[in-house]
Amino acid sequence: MKRQASKQTLLALTLVLIFATPAFALDGTEILKKADANLQPESFESYRKLINIEPSGAKREFLLYTLKKGHDKIASLFLSPASEKGRATLRLGDNMWLYIPNVGKPIRITSLQSVVGGVFNNADIMRLDYNVEYDVQNLEDKKAEHLLSLKAKTGAVAYDKLKMWVDKKTIVPTKIECYAATGLLIKTLYFKERKPFDEGVLRPSVIETDSPLYKGYQSIMVYARLKKRVVSDEVFTLEFLSKIETIR
Amino acid sequence: MCRLTGAAALLLLLAFPAYSQDSYQVDLSQIEKEIEKAADKPYSLGGFLEFQPAIFGIDRDAAFSRLRFFRRDQDSGFEQYNFRLRLEGSYRKDMFSLFFKTDTLARNDFDGWDEDTRLFEAYLSVKPSPGFIVEAGKKVMKWGKGYAWNPVSFIDRPKNPEDPEEALEGSTVATADYIRSFDGPLKTTTLTTALIPVYRRFNAKFGELYHLNFASKLYLLLYDTDLDFMVFAGPSRTTRYGFDFSKNLTTNFEIHGEWAVINNFKLNPINAQGTAFTQESEAISYLLGLRYLTEKETTYILEYYRDGTGFSRGQMKDFFRFVENSYHDFLSTGNDSGLARGQRLSKGAYGKANPMRHYLYFRVSQKEPFDILYLTPALTSIINPADGSLNLIPEVAYSPMTNLELRLRGAFLLGGKRTDYGEKQNDYRLEFRLRYFFQL
Repeated sequence: MKRQASKQTLLALTLVLIFATPAFALDGTEILKKADANLQPESFESYRKLINIEPSGAKREFLLYTLKKGHDKIASLFLSPASEKGRATLRLGDNMWLYIPNVGKPIRITSLQSVVGGVFNNADIMRLDYNVEYDVQNLEDKKAEHLLSLKAKTGAVAYDKLKMWVDKKTIVPTKIECYAATGLLIKTLYFKERKPFDEGVLRPSVIETDSPLYKGYQSIMVYARLKKRVVSDEVFTLEFLSKIETIR
Repeated sequence: MCRLTGAAALLLLLAFPAYSQDSYQVDLSQIEKEIEKAADKPYSLGGFLEFQPAIFGIDRDAAFSRLRFFRRDQDSGFEQYNFRLRLEGSYRKDMFSLFFKTDTLARNDFDGWDEDTRLFEAYLSVKPSPGFIVEAGKKVMKWGKGYAWNPVSFIDRPKNPEDPEEALEGSTVATADYIRSFDGPLKTTTLTTALIPVYRRFNAKFGELYHLNFASKLYLLLYDTDLDFMVFAGPSRTTRYGFDFSKNLTTNFEIHGEWAVINNFKLNPINAQGTAFTQESEAISYLLGLRYLTEKETTYILEYYRDGTGFSRGQMKDFFRFVENSYHDFLSTGNDSGLARGQRLSKGAYGKANPMRHYLYFRVSQKEPFDILYLTPALTSIINPADGSLNLIPEVAYSPMTNLELRLRGAFLLGGKRTDYGEKQNDYRLEFRLRYFFQL
């Protein structure tokens, strides 16, 4: 009888353990999806200014026009500076290309490279929704914020793990720490200056980043004119990269 | 030499601006104003100004040196100063867009001043939908996947393999692109059709005059592989067709290739006595290449090019012998008819950057070595495996501030007597290039 009771307890404990984790993850996943939706619409167009600041105080600025569609398509066109004008990038899932006007075919680039230099890499500049690339591993309650621990779904994702602090009231990320598989902190992203964009939705308009790997360097991304727009799939093709300017 | 080095050093020093150590503060309203201004502008106008001094070291015993300088007592070196203005602009309204690109080069060397202005591109683009685009005017087609050479580029002018990323002058064409996207292994198809008029005012040097030519290309993105099939059919040039491909085996390792056939291609070599022959054949050209990027951002590019329209080693040797014989005739008798003929031939197939059949291209470049931002050293070599001659090009590119690019480059041509690079005009060339980009 005693043995049967302990068996039942063990079974109950096992069931609790089995079901407790998915329940946690489900909550975390819901939060992550909401956070994604509050950062940017699924399909949109926007203008972005990227500013790289060096330890000397010197800065380089880039102006990009960006189109995103669905979960895995994003294209950007450099509008300035003059030396970069006409360059364009395309991301289809894990594949990324850079088009340079005088070079015939777009060349493949990787997520950890950077087409603009500075702390932002290509994965930051051509970012897909976090829930597309990451699973929620853990959710912690930090008073006014949720702390989500995220793990990359595949090895092709730029960062192996993320720690994401999400404001409970607005369900908007305030800070994300990006880690390599070794546990090394690669960079920290700070989401700031919430502003009304499409249909008055409040979204962060400034993303700042710094990195222990680039001491003294800072990069800033400023969003403007972010609004929902759905363009045809043909826009997200290598052949169309040289023609993005025509649909601005 | 000293002047070039001095100018380069001075410009490098001047290029380093002084910066304050204050931390940067984002002025959101100012940035938003800038973005609004840029976003609403339906036109763009910009380009670059370039200053490029160069020093040439002449190989006075080389065939091409003799052909150019036999009438003058040329020093073993000369300086050249190049000033370039590139203007690019666009205007868009609704489904219509206009583009243009001009190039003005002013050059000063022992021959004095020379100026050349060209309209590189000027065309109208009409896009009723993103999947259907019609364009007409002067434009570059950019067919092919090769970095240094493109045997399938049936319409464009050939690239300069020493500087393959430089803009080219386009051809006058009318094109239509039909793009479709799909889900599944076939992700994209694009059908491009082009009409190429060849008349006195349009594409006059393209081929036989007074014909309208047709070309077409089908692009497929199939199983993450870029594939193109192209054909050129028209009376101005003989029919030619081919295909190319590009595939990433891993995210940082890409392979590519091109294959082309030119029907009834006529090659006109001469023998050592100067007698011309005509050889007609189906000229088959192909290229195989790879691009590899390491974790430390070292990029390797390697290409092998077989040019079916090129001269064999024996044919090229015959040409060099003809120039040697003509030069000795000129020295002993003063008769320059042979060299004058050689000069004319050197403006055609014999004078191409790569006139023979087999070439190897190798380039290694390192982005920001030793954590020096915006610095890219590179080493390029173009090798003729048939005769062992080669061109070695070390360079350093640096961008000390936004819109300013500096490049210091050398080109050393190595090869024995009667070899491709051994008989080129120069032993070496040193150049410094300063480019300042602007946007109005």
